[in-house]
Amino acid sequence: MNLLNHLPVLPVLIPFISAILLLLPPLRGQLGRQRIAVIIAHLLSIGTTVWLLLTVQSDGIQVYALGNWQAPFGIAFIADLMAVMIVLLTGVLALAAHLYACAGDDVKGSFFHPIFMFQVMGINGAFLTGDAFNMFVFFEILLIASYALMIHGGGKQRTQANLHYVFLNLIGSTLFLFALGTLYGTLGTLNFVDMARAVSDVSPENLPLVKAGGLLLLAIFGLKAALLPLHFWLPRTYSAATPAVAALFAVMTKVGIYSIWRIHGVIFGVNAGELANMAQPWLWPLAFMTLALGCLGILASQGLRTLVANLIIVSVGTLLMAVAFNTEQTTAAALYYLIHSTLVGGALFLIAGVIVEMRGKAEDRFVTARKMANPAFIGICFFIAALAVIGMPPFSGFVGKALLLKSTVAEDHVAWFWSGLLIAGLISLVTLARAGTTLFWRDQGTPSPAEPVAIQKKAAIALLLLCFPLLVVFGGPITEMTEQAANQLYHGIQLPMGVNNEY
Amino acid sequence: MSLFLVPLLPLLGTLVPLFTERWSRSALATATAILPAIALMLVLAMAPTVFDGDSVTASLSWIPSLGLDLAFHLDGLGLLFSLLILGIGLLVILYARYYLSAKEAAGRFYSYLILFMTAMLGVVLSNNLIQLWFFWELTSVSSFLLISYWGHKSEARKGARMALAITGAGGLALLAGLLLIGNVVGSYELTTVLNSGDLIRQHELYPVILGLMLLGAFTKSAQFPFHFWLPHAMAAPTPVSAYLHSATMVKAGVFLLARFYPVLADTELWFLLVTLTGLTTLLVGAYIAVFKHDLKGLLAYSTISHLGLITLLFGLNTELAAIAAVFHIINHAVFKASLFMAAGIIDHECGSRDMRLINGLWKYMPITATLAMVAAASMAGVPLLNGFLSKEMFFAETLEQSTLGALSWLVPVLATLGGAFAVAYSLRFIHDVFFNGEPKDIPKTPHEPPRYMRVPVEVLVGICLLVGMFPAFTVGELLNTASLSVLNAPLPEYSLSLWHGINIPLMMSVAAIVGGGALYYNRRSLFRFQSKFPEVDAKVVFHNTLIDIMQMSRRLLLKLENGSFQRYAFLLILFALFLAGMPLLTLDIATGAKTTPANSLVITGAILIAIGSIATVIWSHKRIVALLMLSLVGVIVSVGFAYFSAPDLALTQLSVEVVTIILLLLALFFLPQQTPMDRTPPSHIVRDLSIAALIGSVVGTICYALLTRPLDSISSFFVENSKSGGGGTNVVNVILVDFRGFDTMGEIAVLGIAALGIYKLLAGMTLYMPTKDMANRPWAKDKHPMILSVVSQSLLPLSLLVSAYIFLRGHNLPGGGFIAGLVTAVALILQYLAHGVDWMMKRVRIVNYQGVVAVGLLIAVASGVGSWFFERPFLTSWFDYFTLPVVGKFELASAMIFDLGVYLTVVGATMMILAYLGKLTTNERLDEEH
Amino acid sequence: MEAIYAACVGLMTACGIFMMLRGHTFTLVMGLLMCSYAVNLFLFASGGLTLDGAVILGQSQQYADPLPQALVLTAIVIGFAMTAFAVILAMRGRADMGNDHVDGEEPQDPLTRNLAQKEVK
Repeated sequence: MNLLNHLPVLPVLIPFISAILLLLPPLRGQLGRQRIAVIIAHLLSIGTTVWLLLTVQSDGIQVYALGNWQAPFGIAFIADLMAVMIVLLTGVLALAAHLYACAGDDVKGSFFHPIFMFQVMGINGAFLTGDAFNMFVFFEILLIASYALMIHGGGKQRTQANLHYVFLNLIGSTLFLFALGTLYGTLGTLNFVDMARAVSDVSPENLPLVKAGGLLLLAIFGLKAALLPLHFWLPRTYSAATPAVAALFAVMTKVGIYSIWRIHGVIFGVNAGELANMAQPWLWPLAFMTLALGCLGILASQGLRTLVANLIIVSVGTLLMAVAFNTEQTTAAALYYLIHSTLVGGALFLIAGVIVEMRGKAEDRFVTARKMANPAFIGICFFIAALAVIGMPPFSGFVGKALLLKSTVAEDHVAWFWSGLLIAGLISLVTLARAGTTLFWRDQGTPSPAEPVAIQKKAAIALLLLCFPLLVVFGGPITEMTEQAANQLYHGIQLPMGVNNEY
Repeated sequence: MSLFLVPLLPLLGTLVPLFTERWSRSALATATAILPAIALMLVLAMAPTVFDGDSVTASLSWIPSLGLDLAFHLDGLGLLFSLLILGIGLLVILYARYYLSAKEAAGRFYSYLILFMTAMLGVVLSNNLIQLWFFWELTSVSSFLLISYWGHKSEARKGARMALAITGAGGLALLAGLLLIGNVVGSYELTTVLNSGDLIRQHELYPVILGLMLLGAFTKSAQFPFHFWLPHAMAAPTPVSAYLHSATMVKAGVFLLARFYPVLADTELWFLLVTLTGLTTLLVGAYIAVFKHDLKGLLAYSTISHLGLITLLFGLNTELAAIAAVFHIINHAVFKASLFMAAGIIDHECGSRDMRLINGLWKYMPITATLAMVAAASMAGVPLLNGFLSKEMFFAETLEQSTLGALSWLVPVLATLGGAFAVAYSLRFIHDVFFNGEPKDIPKTPHEPPRYMRVPVEVLVGICLLVGMFPAFTVGELLNTASLSVLNAPLPEYSLSLWHGINIPLMMSVAAIVGGGALYYNRRSLFRFQSKFPEVDAKVVFHNTLIDIMQMSRRLLLKLENGSFQRYAFLLILFALFLAGMPLLTLDIATGAKTTPANSLVITGAILIAIGSIATVIWSHKRIVALLMLSLVGVIVSVGFAYFSAPDLALTQLSVEVVTIILLLLALFFLPQQTPMDRTPPSHIVRDLSIAALIGSVVGTICYALLTRPLDSISSFFVENSKSGGGGTNVVNVILVDFRGFDTMGEIAVLGIAALGIYKLLAGMTLYMPTKDMANRPWAKDKHPMILSVVSQSLLPLSLLVSAYIFLRGHNLPGGGFIAGLVTAVALILQYLAHGVDWMMKRVRIVNYQGVVAVGLLIAVASGVGSWFFERPFLTSWFDYFTLPVVGKFELASAMIFDLGVYLTVVGATMMILAYLGKLTTNERLDEEH
Repeated sequence: MEAIYAACVGLMTACGIFMMLRGHTFTLVMGLLMCSYAVNLFLFASGGLTLDGAVILGQSQQYADPLPQALVLTAIVIGFAMTAFAVILAMRGRADMGNDHVDGEEPQDPLTRNLAQKEVK
């Protein structure tokens, strides 16, 4: 058997199988072995993803018909450049987060490693699948896994935040099924590409139904992506979760954004006839207000973790505005920004985790506290991450921001987008400068006794931080790739889905 | 290509101090200086080429889609600035070696300093707009690091933050401006842009572009009203002030004006904005400087005013003015740097910078005093010094403009006034510090600084004199080339000489000097007048505003994010309602109504459902009752499935129903039996009722529409291929295990994860166990009634048999792994209920349910992976028919293996959930598992 | 018949949603269950209603749409998993917070709150 024929499905199967094996002897209950195993698993899936990426780049979109039933009848995985890039992003983030957890957070509750792997499986599946109902299934996988990871480590706060998170998302899942039922009942198919075809020639009397179903999906994806007014769960959930988990969650909002791209950007995109770009009028103002509220949150936060959570909301607002433009070059720019912002979000959560350990009772609150034992390493890390998230040179933030600005220069309501983006940048600059100077310099008394930062944690953070200069240095090839990805997204494949359409 | 080395060498240089930190101070300083020194050599080597009128360029492609290239080019202006940056930089390195005390981390300091040097070089050498911004922002970042070098001091932190905020804001504006320019011109290459001035000036966006660019320049060069950050940046170590706040960083703003002079200048708007800003800054700076008691404060404000002077010159839109501006950039850099260093020395040797305390230092440090006085004189614009020359040209140019029409005479007058104030504060600097009595209680007894600490000052003051006396000979050529690239056009005639004869500018200088003298002589009354105004500390104002904004947003946010689930859920539902409801307004419900008449059965079912659901809501506070009502609804639903020809669904729904209800009952044992009185205000109840009703009607409408409309779906395919392709006659089951087997795999994964998650929740959960029910009756002592245990035990084998049967027929008739699994699970649960957890634990201790789950999942995956060995995609099914004696013809399908996996997972997961939950009722706890 | 069916689905949805807008976890769980019944019926209906047309090949001449049935099956199972998790989480909430309100604390009675404010004044 030749594994290379099955590349598209491996990013899902590798975490899945490893998760299962973690529950069985010889790995079961053997913490040491488990830690090694998961790292190997992550490396494996990253490796395969890279291979898949190269394949897609060279021979175009890869379609994988599960059970050998051709789409639209069977479930098909569509590995186009965008999906694969984001899967790769997930892989790197997951590796770092998991590495961080291996320093000891993983023993603070049961089954951390398998559930973490399930989580990755769910996320990757959601990105790769080309079938609406299968997407629902993977959403549920990543959700149930996230519910379980969320309460890892226990404690009032987590249970509390989890209650809101879980029940809101349960409502979301219910709505999701309503939407799917409506869409199937009108379009009679579930495969994305086939849906796109069906949408373009839907009978006029069915239009309202299709529209209702399609827009209902926006609510679900909006909930995942933390679009205003559905974002309220995010700050508490993310700031309460264990650092490693919070870091991984940084990619979860992107699942929602990505789905909006796929469904409302493409299926209900320019070729949708009557329904072309039907979500945009909703998306525009909401995304802008999300950004605004994120800024408000940044200003209001009294602790680093809350601050980071709000920074994520800001990035979501930015991205969704870019999505609302729904043009090829903006999407390309947004994809770069998405990669950057996800990584920086994850990095900041890990850094916050370390700071919480080092500052004793003061945790990550912006108050005068005892001196940190040896703040040099974490201080530098914070500085780098802060520059990246603000969008200051020399790190990837400025490329992402500048790309977004440049790609929209000729669009209408660009003034809103630009001012929103720039002002958000300024606000985060001011607040982060304040946060950093307070956390690291405003101290008194003797250094707080703290054991040195575990090497795994250092490695994990370093791994993520390394991405920012690399994203800049190799900005040329990477942006080329994002442009190609955007192009594939919009001029994807038609049915019957032959293996590689010529691109 | 050697041009790349100019910024690259200092970039590497930032690392040097970090590695040589352990060395002696002198060694450290030397090592640090080497790479910048080489860079300086390189620049000097290229100078002749530039003097010949052509420019050195080097470029590499970087991020094309951003228009960002790694592109440098060295023209006159670039040359002038890189000489300033590198030259003064080296002097500062030498100076800092003596300035920093032994215990301070000099390595870190130097590395920041060199980083800044790199950034600054990048700005002045950039040949690409985005790259220029890149380095521009880098200067802000590195200056933040330098100002906050003494981070433990509050004013250092605040000053640094303020500087960063203001310059950062300007940087963002600059980025926008540059992107617009690039968009207008269609290229981000500076040389191209500089040659398309008319294109930009005629473009409709010109005002916007100009505004944004000027915002960038003015914030960086501390122009009014953004000037207030600079004085507070004086919290930095003095070498930093000498370098950043005299020669380089603050000059970046005016550099920007010079750089884009060819494309932005020569319009009325430019004149008004730039000239007036410059003039205001000139006056405000000069005026405030007079009243500053802090030596560095005085210098800071004088810097502001001189920057205003330069800006004003650029604003005048005449070629000679631009030349004068460039000339003054040089001169100011030289004398101000030396003054800062002198101030640093004084501070260093006296331990104070307060001019009310440090007097009469002439006796203690004559040499330093002399140097400082010369520099100060140059600042005042005294003849024979470089300051005089550019000041003279400045005065001359103020006379040449007429854009303000009848009011044009104001400009020279105000300029002279500014000059007078400059003289005044220079006088104060000299007189207060070096004469004017004896030093008052200062920490140290002052004396001359170490020999080499003075060298940089000597060098700079030397330049002041040389330029002052032989301008054309010393800087003539440099000035020409620089101005050439500023104007981007042939130079006009102008002469650099001391004596232009008796003319108005000379008169103005004299007036300024005399007036300045008079002002200083009457300083007491002046101070008295000024003391009437309350002194505002920009730092405090800035800080407090920020705090206020933060508290305001906190209050606002708490109003929105009040932590109430009910609000969030309401918003979600409302949002969904809008999205789904709006389109329905245009829906014609009657379309293609293919309705079938209702029969009594359906009606009864409907009524039961209606009663059940409503009853559940009404009695929802009596939880047990509500639960019973709910289960009634569930049962009717499953019957409904059976009625509408979905036997599999009916079976599944029913078995799930059973398990769920058992689960909820168990949970209810630990939860309050009654919902505490619902405190939500009636208005909310109404609100919720109405929105629920609305959602319900929307869903109902859609449902009706779907039911009554013809649908051509892909499903015929499944019916046709079920037998031939999937080897089963039960199409639904074939879809589950074959056509869409992947969904099923995901579904059992969800089940498994849920079980694990529930274990997580249960492990370490501490719940007190109620011994009485809600009516306060104690629970029966005899937990496990005899009959039940006997019956259940005898039922077990039977039920297992049944589940096996259901499992096997699944592929062709209603049934399958999932239902079978649930049946088994229920049978086992029955045992738990009958015999109690302990009894079961004794018998099934060997069974580890999460193991069962894992094995189930593994089998399912394995059946999928198996197809790889036949070069088929994941989960491709296989089946064949065999005949055995007795048994006869029978079928084997890979799907059955998959179904087995499903079966095991379901059993395992269900048992995990229920059995472990039951375990809570015993006194033994779950222990954490990994 | 379709009308009745749709009406039932609508009613159940309404009841379910209303319960999901309450404050106590167990009510939420029941609402969730109710919603899942409704959504299952809804999803099932997306393929249209058929009487005695079970999709067992060779048992009847016109078949119901099998795909929605399969989807509903999956939905039921996932719904079960979610409900189970939710209810145990509710228990955990009770254990950690001492009450079973979804916000972790019983909201004050508006009346008593006003009184408290008056006392402050």
